[in-house]
Amino acid sequence: MSALKTTLTGYAGYRGREGHWSFLLHRITGLGTGLFLTIHIIDIAFVYLAPELFLDALKLYQSTLFGIGEVGLVFCVFFHGVNGLRIAFVDMFKPAAWSISTQRNWTRVTLLITLVLWVPAAFIMLRNLLFHNFGLFGG
Amino acid sequence: MATTTRTIRRVKTPANYESIAWKWMRYSAFLLIPLVWGHLILQDVVVGVHNMDLGYVADRWANIGWRVYDGLLLAFAFAHGVNGLRQVLNDFIHKPTGRLILNWGLFFFWLVITVVGFVALIGGVNQQFPLQ
Repeated sequence: MSALKTTLTGYAGYRGREGHWSFLLHRITGLGTGLFLTIHIIDIAFVYLAPELFLDALKLYQSTLFGIGEVGLVFCVFFHGVNGLRIAFVDMFKPAAWSISTQRNWTRVTLLITLVLWVPAAFIMLRNLLFHNFGLFGG
Repeated sequence: MATTTRTIRRVKTPANYESIAWKWMRYSAFLLIPLVWGHLILQDVVVGVHNMDLGYVADRWANIGWRVYDGLLLAFAFAHGVNGLRQVLNDFIHKPTGRLILNWGLFFFWLVITVVGFVALIGGVNQQFPLQ
């Protein structure tokens, strides 16, 4: 149990500002995406193994709660991808940019690119949700 | 006048299991950017979960190209995810016995879910049920 406590204290107590936040966000978004991916592989497997369960899963995905979760999932995937590209790009092409001050800026740019991708997607998805589940916009 | 020069030291490390796994994390990541983002934008944003049913999956899987696409997603995304989970859990589990259990446990988890996914992908839509 002490390894758990040490690691969690380190995660919470480290004062690394942007670097610390992007590390935590990368892990959380990765774990969140991985959790959904596991569920998603199983629900798609139902298409062949138990189609009636697939239709139940689909109803669940069309619910308002899962719709909001879906918008969060899209953020997770976009952030994890953009942040991963930042890390890979600096590693492979610009290792001199591995400095705290440079990466503080790059981390902010990473978040900005994520928002540019996510906001329009979230807008369309929320609009679909309001259309189908609440009868708004003529639904 | 003294000048300082920044040098980047390149280090050669011998290939072992962990370094190969690390490299594959990165290679799969590059593939996953177009694969996963494309899948996400098409299914969640353009089509939307409200416009899906068994018939939608049947139409999609009638095209071998989409089945290959989904197969690539399954192969690369899930392996990337499980190896990522392994790296996160390595932060919490330090004892060699614990890591041995972790590695084998996650390997079987990966194997079972991947096999289940491919069985469905190859089996396709179960035609015994009317398409809705």
